[in-house]
Amino acid sequence: MSNHPTDFQGDVKEAIRAALAERISDAAITVTGGGGHYTIEVVAPVFEGKGMLDSQRLVLQSIAHLMKGEMAPVHAVDSIKTRAR
Amino acid sequence: MALSDGLRRHLDEIVGSHRVVLFMKGTRYQPSCGFSASVVGVLDALLPEYHTVDVLSDPAVRDGIKTYSDWPTIPQLYVDAKFIGGADIVRELHATGELARLLGTDATGPRVPEVTFSPEAAAALTAARADLAGDDASSVLRLEVSSGFEYDLYFGSANAGDVVVETAGGPLHMDAPSAARSDGMKVGWVVTADGGGFKIENPNEPARVQQLSPRALKAMLDAGDALVLVDVRTPEERETAHIEGSRLLDAGFEHELLAMDRGTPLVFQCHHGVRSLRAAEHFTRKGFRKVYNLQGGIDGWSVSVDPTVPRY
Repeated sequence: MSNHPTDFQGDVKEAIRAALAERISDAAITVTGGGGHYTIEVVAPVFEGKGMLDSQRLVLQSIAHLMKGEMAPVHAVDSIKTRAR
Repeated sequence: MALSDGLRRHLDEIVGSHRVVLFMKGTRYQPSCGFSASVVGVLDALLPEYHTVDVLSDPAVRDGIKTYSDWPTIPQLYVDAKFIGGADIVRELHATGELARLLGTDATGPRVPEVTFSPEAAAALTAARADLAGDDASSVLRLEVSSGFEYDLYFGSANAGDVVVETAGGPLHMDAPSAARSDGMKVGWVVTADGGGFKIENPNEPARVQQLSPRALKAMLDAGDALVLVDVRTPEERETAHIEGSRLLDAGFEHELLAMDRGTPLVFQCHHGVRSLRAAEHFTRKGFRKVYNLQGGIDGWSVSVDPTVPRY
């Protein structure tokens, strides 16, 4: 696992989960990974009828603040999976 | 970040200039991030050519494209000026075959490259095949071309997904990325002291650094050739001695160079020609096609062209 420096204090996976829960209602969220690299799975009704691009964009926008700058806690999202149910 | 009109127009131009544009870290031949490399691998399997933009060499584009696409990460793939997605999406679209349809390439695989064997090379292969027949009749001739354009020609097993080219030397098997790097390749035969060997000429290879003698550089300068002479030594060395018309490579000059047309001839020079070779190789990776290294550096220049330049 690669390591990336961050000035973020706290549990990054929990921060991702919380950020997603705030933006996407009725979502079942699974976050795995560490060391700056994360894998995210979200199951929520909002993805019904949405394409892959729009679905992933919604997820990425929700956690954009965690990916900003050189010292961001989230260096990369290795994989995003979204389903409506 | 808000996008300036100028930057938006610049990005419009880039995505409109080629059918397939990949914004990535590094270049097609030297990706400098795993996500970019994975998209290059997918595209190489489907397309002989596509345009890449190295965001690491342009901070404005690196930030701008994220706003432009409303997508926070690199790489980013555009087809027909439409944003397709990042590494994850490209991988999924490739797995379902949708990417091949989108790119308009035959869903059954990449197109078959044209590979020519000289009569001598074909004869050598036929002889090698005959030798092999007793041992393992199921072997096929395989050619692998790595992303760094190293070649491996050998007898091995046929694989699913192979691209098979009919040549004068018999069928030649390649995996899809190798096939994508091989169109127009010529295979010849050279006789050497210990028998002979295959010689491969491949027009898809990126430019390599060419060695330039001090006299040849003098001739080019005298002829008024449009070239840029880049001094990669330290400022202290430059104070001791320099070649007229050269310029010290600093961050500002590197930025200027990277903005130049990739056909601009660049000549790199140091004290003895070793540091400058490394710098020259760096610029071939940035896409420059005419890159020279001054053999012997400024010392060679003092010895064979201009003795008024002090040696140190």
